[in-house]
Amino acid sequence: MNLVRFFPLALFQWLQHTAIGEYVDHSMWVFAVTETVHIVCLSILLGATLILDLRLLGKGMTRESIVTLSNTVRPWIWSAFIGLAITGVVMFNSEAVKMGRNRGFFLKVIFLVLAVLFQLTIHRRVTSSNDAEGTGWAKLAASLSLSCWLGVALAGRAIAFL
Amino acid sequence: MLSLIQWLNEVPISVWLREMPYPFPIIETIHILALGASFGTILWVDLRLMNLVMRDRKVSDVIEQLEPYAVLGFAAMFVSGALLFLSEPVKAYSTMAFRIKAVMLILAGINIWFFHRGIYSTISQWDRSKRLPWQARFTGISSLLLWLGIIVAGRWTAYV
Repeated sequence: MNLVRFFPLALFQWLQHTAIGEYVDHSMWVFAVTETVHIVCLSILLGATLILDLRLLGKGMTRESIVTLSNTVRPWIWSAFIGLAITGVVMFNSEAVKMGRNRGFFLKVIFLVLAVLFQLTIHRRVTSSNDAEGTGWAKLAASLSLSCWLGVALAGRAIAFL
Repeated sequence: MLSLIQWLNEVPISVWLREMPYPFPIIETIHILALGASFGTILWVDLRLMNLVMRDRKVSDVIEQLEPYAVLGFAAMFVSGALLFLSEPVKAYSTMAFRIKAVMLILAGINIWFFHRGIYSTISQWDRSKRLPWQARFTGISSLLLWLGIIVAGRWTAYV
């Protein structure tokens, strides 16, 4: 399964021939720098998510309340996400056709959509009050949130092999 | 030193890691996830020491609650990193980016050691203070810069 089955191939060809796509494709340095920023943003997002989800699991940061901690880390999660999205789009554009045909990339997009939807709905709701403290729902939300992001990262790595 | 590295290069596990298709990408994935767990939590300690986040929380609370995960993440990162190094010792050793990375790692270690032996031993005096001692702020900034440098040098090692 890949993206080309759902979107016209011409779209990917056009993306690859946009100015960004061509520029990044012809400069190894730009790609390397973009990838480095992507990795830094990834660790910020992963770390902030881990902090909040460990709290929900009752395994860390237990001296902070869920709501306070969530309000503290959320701006960092979304800033890192924006950084990841921008650098991700730049890298995608440089090899859009290949990515459109890649199964790993398709999997990554699926996990990404799941992760974002989950963060914006159930996860947001669970972390919006301290009532979820210690409940099974909090633990389930934390596990699903971590699994989704882990899925994004693993599928991202799998792009090179699938 | 070079002869030791060359010997390491021919150790069976080194050859195995280098020649099999799967070990390297799997270990590399673990390395990057561990980076997220370790840098992602150290970052919060650094930002707290720079007085940028959780200002109304005690510094010791932030450090004590995050340190176990930072240490765990670092251990996983170090072991997986050592295996990645072992897969091509001669190549890594002769790469400038890798040497810079090794130096920055040592500096980051010294930084934490100094912090714990030094200003952290008097934390009860400034734990809730609005203005943190310069040593604490310095530790935060230098740790953050060193880790960013380590990540950049690490990526650079993979490219050359």
